[in-house]
Amino acid sequence: MGMLHYDFMQRAFWAGGIIAVLASTLGVYLMLRRQALIADMLSHVSLAGVAAGTYLHINPSLAGFVVAILGAIAVEYVRRSYRTFSEVSVAIIMVCGLSTAVVLMSLIKGTSKSLSSYLFGSVVAVNTSDLRIMILVAAAGALFFFFLRRPLYQISFDEETAQTDGLPVKSISLLFSVMTGMIVSAAMPIVGVLLVSALVILPAAIAVRIAYSFNAAILIACAVGLAGVFSGLTASYRLNTPPGGTIALILLVFLVSGVLLQKAILRVYRNRVKHESSIRNYYT
Amino acid sequence: MMVLLKMDNVEFGYSEIPCLQDVSLQISAGEFVAVTGPNGSSKSTLLKLALGLLRPKSGEVKLQSGKPDGTKLKVSYVPQHIAAFNSGFPSRVHEFVRSGRYKEGSWLRRLTPKDHGIVEQALRDVGMWEMRGRRIGELSGGQKQRICMARALASEPDLFVLDEPTAGMDQQSRNALYAQMRRQVTQYNRTVIMVTHEQQELDSFLDRTIELTRKEEDTWGCCTTTLCSGHFGLAE
Repeated sequence: MGMLHYDFMQRAFWAGGIIAVLASTLGVYLMLRRQALIADMLSHVSLAGVAAGTYLHINPSLAGFVVAILGAIAVEYVRRSYRTFSEVSVAIIMVCGLSTAVVLMSLIKGTSKSLSSYLFGSVVAVNTSDLRIMILVAAAGALFFFFLRRPLYQISFDEETAQTDGLPVKSISLLFSVMTGMIVSAAMPIVGVLLVSALVILPAAIAVRIAYSFNAAILIACAVGLAGVFSGLTASYRLNTPPGGTIALILLVFLVSGVLLQKAILRVYRNRVKHESSIRNYYT
Repeated sequence: MMVLLKMDNVEFGYSEIPCLQDVSLQISAGEFVAVTGPNGSSKSTLLKLALGLLRPKSGEVKLQSGKPDGTKLKVSYVPQHIAAFNSGFPSRVHEFVRSGRYKEGSWLRRLTPKDHGIVEQALRDVGMWEMRGRRIGELSGGQKQRICMARALASEPDLFVLDEPTAGMDQQSRNALYAQMRRQVTQYNRTVIMVTHEQQELDSFLDRTIELTRKEEDTWGCCTTTLCSGHFGLAE
């Protein structure tokens, strides 16, 4: 626990814990709404904001945050234009964000270190202003997911049914996209642009597979997300590896172990049922 | 009798070619109406137009938003497929049917014992009470349709809009559903609009049938309205 004597590690653990809970909750909804790639797309859009911020000498985290929100709003509008092929909207906005980021990065001289920390994540990259942004996002996220938990559940099932139930589906979807942009950009300093979607999707992928109820899915996703981030940060500190990659690898190990464990349990259960029915048949 | 839904010369198409043209119809409160027609005759599209999920290219669609007593008209829609059902949605049957009660009051309202009683009754009505703890992904196609119906019943709507709700159901479940819908109309003066291919077996429960007939190669319209053997004089 010696690492927690360092201020930067304390900040990383606080920020990581906050982001793990928010990203995992968001991930469950994104996955169920078939929008799993949106987190990945918004992280690339956010990179354009970081690059623009660096180029214009504005706080890069703040610029990335604002651009991610704008990207989230844009994707919601493009998604409605391509209703049948909604994944096309993700590709369009991602190309837009990534190409802008690449061009802007080529114009910035001698600042590749700070940009690479956004690409791959760095515990040192989490400064006090990032932590403030994360706390604000956490407060907004907690309110959003608490007050809108029922409408979000209904919309995740079927947007048309939710609309006929009288829910303002368009407004809630737009707010959801904005929230996604906020969470993704807040997570970037910890896990980096390239691996943000790992933190959003992997805990949700495990939870959706094993949970029997909706609330259980969210709780399991949060627990997996927290375990992945804390163990990833610890391993990253000890092994001197980038936190984003380490966290993502640990979450992948969790996912594979979860799938194998689930299959083993199901096999044991089926064998037991088969065995019991053969004994019953023998005696009747 | 209050007119609940009115369509006047409605035209709609997903591309330049209209799939529905010259559609004019009227459905009053307290009617049990079936919408029929062959595959691809745009029956589901007609329902979506009625619900305001699609906008017509021309013509007018008017679905009453309120009732004569000033309260809001409650609508429950059961679509043909719910995509989330196939993806192992992590939800139990009871949790899903209970969501039908969420439209009553605010989003944070705590469900009362009365709400739980209504949910239980709805699940019993469709014969799914014993399976209330099951995960939705584990159900068969017919069972999934039955829990969608239970959710619709639990929301106690004024208007049921059902898109082939009997798909995948066995004969016994289908008959139980028709009888249940007839009861909703007769006892509670609710309205039912149901897209179906089983018009023959449903006939004795219905007031009217609206049939979509072919106008051109890919265009349907000109609803033919037929009074059914079981009608209760409401459509006259």
